[in-house]
Amino acid sequence: MTRFLHTGDWQLGMTRHFFSEGVQERFAQSRFDAIRSLGRIAKEEDCRFMVVCGDVFESNLIDRKTVFRALEALKDVPIPVYLLPGNHDPLNAASVYRSSTFLERKPPHVHVIEDMIPIKVDDGIEIVGVPWYSKRPLQDLVAMATAPLESVVDTVRVCVAHGMLDSISPDPDDPAAISLHAAEMAISQNKIHYLALGDRHSLTQVGNTGRIWYAGSPEQTDYNEVKSGFALVVDLDREKVATREVNVGAWRFIERKRVDMNTKEDIEGLKRWLEEIDDKERAVVKLRLVGTLSLLFHDQLEELFVYISEILGALETRTEELVVIPEDADFAGFGFSGFASRTVERLRSDAQDAGPHGIKARDALTLLVRLAGKAQ
Amino acid sequence: MKILCVRLRNYRGIEEAEVRFGPVGLTVVEGPNEAGKTSITESVKILFEYLDSSKHRNVEAIKPVHRDVSTEIELQAESGPYAFTYFKRFHKKPETTLKVVKPKPENHTGREAHERAEAILRETIDVDLWRALNMQQGEELRQANLEKQTSLSAALDRAAGGHSTDPRQESLFELIREEYAHYYTERGNEKKELQVAQRAEENALNEVASLQRQFKDLEDDIDRVALLQNDLDRFGKQEVEIENEISGYQKSLDEIQKLEAALETARLKLDSERKSENAARLEKESRQDLVDRVNKAQKEHAKLEAAIASSGPAVQNAEEGLGKAEESADSAEKCRKDTETLLTLRRADFDYFNNKLHLEQLRERKERIDRARQEAAVAEDLLTSNQVDEKRLKKIREAERELVIARAQQEAGSPSLLLRALTDLTLQIDGEQASIGKNEDKVLSVPDRVRLTIPETLDIEVTAGARAVDLSQRFEEAQEALTSACTAAGVSDPDEARNAFEERREALRQIKNRDQTERDNLRDLTYEQLERKVIGLGKSIPVYPGERVSTPPLCLDLESAQGELRKAEKSLYDAGRQWEIARDTLNSAREVRDRLRESSSETRIQLDLKTADLKQAEEELSRARARIPDHELKEKLDKSTEEVRFQEGSFRDAENALKIKGPEKVKTLMETARDSLLTIRKKRKNAQTGLTEVQTRLKVLGEDGLHEQLHAAESRLEHVRRESAALVRRASAARLLFETRKDERDKARRAYVAPLREKIEQHGRLLFNDTFEVEVSEDLVITSRTLGGATVSFDSLSGGTKEQLSLIARLACAMIVGKDGGGAPLILDDALGYTDPERLKLMGAVLAKAGQACQIIILTCMPDRYRNVGEAAVVRMG
Repeated sequence: MTRFLHTGDWQLGMTRHFFSEGVQERFAQSRFDAIRSLGRIAKEEDCRFMVVCGDVFESNLIDRKTVFRALEALKDVPIPVYLLPGNHDPLNAASVYRSSTFLERKPPHVHVIEDMIPIKVDDGIEIVGVPWYSKRPLQDLVAMATAPLESVVDTVRVCVAHGMLDSISPDPDDPAAISLHAAEMAISQNKIHYLALGDRHSLTQVGNTGRIWYAGSPEQTDYNEVKSGFALVVDLDREKVATREVNVGAWRFIERKRVDMNTKEDIEGLKRWLEEIDDKERAVVKLRLVGTLSLLFHDQLEELFVYISEILGALETRTEELVVIPEDADFAGFGFSGFASRTVERLRSDAQDAGPHGIKARDALTLLVRLAGKAQ
Repeated sequence: MKILCVRLRNYRGIEEAEVRFGPVGLTVVEGPNEAGKTSITESVKILFEYLDSSKHRNVEAIKPVHRDVSTEIELQAESGPYAFTYFKRFHKKPETTLKVVKPKPENHTGREAHERAEAILRETIDVDLWRALNMQQGEELRQANLEKQTSLSAALDRAAGGHSTDPRQESLFELIREEYAHYYTERGNEKKELQVAQRAEENALNEVASLQRQFKDLEDDIDRVALLQNDLDRFGKQEVEIENEISGYQKSLDEIQKLEAALETARLKLDSERKSENAARLEKESRQDLVDRVNKAQKEHAKLEAAIASSGPAVQNAEEGLGKAEESADSAEKCRKDTETLLTLRRADFDYFNNKLHLEQLRERKERIDRARQEAAVAEDLLTSNQVDEKRLKKIREAERELVIARAQQEAGSPSLLLRALTDLTLQIDGEQASIGKNEDKVLSVPDRVRLTIPETLDIEVTAGARAVDLSQRFEEAQEALTSACTAAGVSDPDEARNAFEERREALRQIKNRDQTERDNLRDLTYEQLERKVIGLGKSIPVYPGERVSTPPLCLDLESAQGELRKAEKSLYDAGRQWEIARDTLNSAREVRDRLRESSSETRIQLDLKTADLKQAEEELSRARARIPDHELKEKLDKSTEEVRFQEGSFRDAENALKIKGPEKVKTLMETARDSLLTIRKKRKNAQTGLTEVQTRLKVLGEDGLHEQLHAAESRLEHVRRESAALVRRASAARLLFETRKDERDKARRAYVAPLREKIEQHGRLLFNDTFEVEVSEDLVITSRTLGGATVSFDSLSGGTKEQLSLIARLACAMIVGKDGGGAPLILDDALGYTDPERLKLMGAVLAKAGQACQIIILTCMPDRYRNVGEAAVVRMG
């Protein structure tokens, strides 16, 4: 039984536009920390080696600093690490793996899989890597790599690959999609015994063999990831396979696709929900607000967002469906009269316009309310 | 609205106070300073403005110092149809009650009471204007500096903008203006912040675009590397293929080279044999030429000899012909010369006769001239003696005519004497002889006296009377005049004068005739020339016959001489023709003879040459035959011809063998392949260079972290865009708010201008006169006053007038506050401090009149100032 650690999609160097500079740095650091965590887990779990199934780097054109930090973190991994070039960091002319920065500082136990020739990791253990040479391959690279392989009887082969399996690919016409059938055939023919996949950021098992897995990204990178922040500890031999997920990630991307917002209670409800989020510094929240608010409540909501966005990793709000309608109560207590009242009436009338003029009028009213408050 | 009663408890320094006001007209509230007069007006404002629970500093301010008590305000008032009592307790146990008694009873408490009170106000008065008026109460008029008017406009702004009535606070609309001014200039242009935001966005966008370009360039470079590597592989394969092709062509070319060498050898042999054949042929032809030359020379030699033999007699004949022709020519020439001599003689003869004739003619011409000259000389002499010219003749004629007239008159006027002869009779009449035939009558006039004498018979003297004497005297005078004229002309009587005149005319004609004769006879000569010719010819002609040869004899006259001359001329012409013919004949004979002589000489020279030539050719032929006989030459040529034919066959074989190999095609293919190889190597080199360049570039730029840079720039752009959009949105909101507010405010101001002006003028006319007018601006301030047609700007008015106008303006304002025309209470706090006593009196009348329309409350510590206000309620405080 061979035990190894299956991971991928580290996406080192990834940036997110909604992060402020400081948060971006935290986010990046977490990904380097994840490497060290994986090293620690590998040691604890007594793994023989680690396979990283593509997209180790977000791009081939990343900063030297990112490469330095990645290699520095990899130094702390106590077992051999096999890095596979994926679609983000293909083994092309600009490959980060061929850069002097990488080559000069690469620790000896870190290996880059540069071709499809089986690599002997240890006695009875081989890795068949399927590296990407370009961003847009025009065929099923796994099928190409496994087709010429002979069945093996005394060796356990781990195929390390990157890309979408045809059974779950969102693009059915993708020529690079990996054929699940062909992969399963290769497994049944003892050409390979485990297909370690990267590209999908959520931990996913595919097919019925129990030998085809996406380990997912060790840190979540987007809202639509179902189960990211994990790695797989794999126990494998020709007869059996056992996988165990281990949590690595610290960041969470939380999206609420509809938050009704009409009353003061709704605002308070949202406030409570936000307050209850754990580890807010590593939480990225996206809210789509739906409803109608008065100027006053809208102002309160804005205040809430200003406050909470200072605490969260990031807060994204979508307010296209949140309508702000000035109400009588917004102006009560200011004692507007005469032409001031008529000004308010005119702007309120304009505010009913669905177009930009309406927005401008609502903004003007909001400003009026703010200034009136200040005047008092 | 009218304030009926105000009750205060624990209000500032007042523990308890109640002030009742007159329902109409004026109420004067008297009291020293610090008595709490102002608190009355302030308390009404506080009552309506603030809830009983309010912690507003204005409310806090009315709390008595150092006392923890509640403050109470109660107001009894009427407004429109309403009569009510409104009560509020502040600070402790707050409470509000509103008790309406008219038009129907109502009771309200708490917030409801506050709101109902406010509703009653809104229903019955222009709340904004009332608040504005309240804000002004007792302030601006009291200010020492009256340069500025009471700012009703500013008060209205503050009133409309909310509850804040504290003029020390910034009004809402000032804040709106400030907010607007934060983004825009006064002219509405964008300020720096907006411009900077736009520039920041542009810069961020440019940065992203630049990085995207770099990113794309790198991506393109990556693709290029793959393409270039493909190219390099392809070019490498193509190079090997072409090298193999070249190798194949080289083998073929080696074979072709051998065949070309064999062909060259065959060509050389063939050329050599052809040269030998040619030499043999030339040699043979040379021999034949030599033989032909000898034969030809022999023939020509014979021909020349024959020609020389025949040329001797021909020359002889020509010589003879020439001799004859020479004789004929000599004869013809002699004849011609004789004829020329004769012609000369005949021409001289003709000239002789001709000159002779000519001499005669000349002589005649000369004589005619001489004669004419002589006649002219005589005429000229006559002219010198004859004085009877036309003028003189005319005079004589006139004298003659006068004489005839005198005679006729004498004869008519004097007695006449008839003589009738009875026989032929001779008698003397006045001594002159006269005769009368028989039976002939003769009448004699007796002018004076006539004397008849019959000789020897009778002497009769008849004497006339006195008249006859006069006539006779006149006759004599006429006679004397005639005589005198004749004498002057040198003649004796008129007849002689007429003759002399004719003679003179004839003489003049002769002189004229001489000139004509000279012209006619001299022609183109002068007289001297004519004379010389006559003398010359006269000398030469007579000697000619003597000097002339005797034969032939001289002709008799000119005509025969002319005939002989013509004959001689004809003979000369004929002799000349004969001479020319003979000379031509001679020339022809000489030419024939010369030609024959020359031809004969030439033939002889040719014969000599040909003889030498023949000899030389014969010797040369002999020498050649001695060297190689003719038959050997023929054999040698035949052999060479055969060898050439053999070599031509060999050459053709070699040529065919080479042709089969297609040497040109192979060479062309070889050259093409070599060029292709160069091209492909060049391409490969270029691709390699390109690849190296791109790889270097990738190496240099690929590790610069373009990915992060681009993402960072994109994030910045998004951030800047968000910020910019937010800024623009804020600015737009500020602008819309500012402009809407300004628009509405201006509209409201304009609505107040007309009624305010009307009321000001209505009350002002009491103070000034009926010509009083004012201008009220849209800011609701008086800009000018017009009095008696003279307009003065407000600022130029005196302090007192300003104060009075301001008070009237405030009165006008108070009057238009009530929606039903009832007005609002006007509270004046010690106003009119600048007004002189006279005007104060008039102002009193103004206030009294205004008091009929609205309630006026005067707070004063100097009651005397208002003693002219007519009937007024008086309340004392303190």
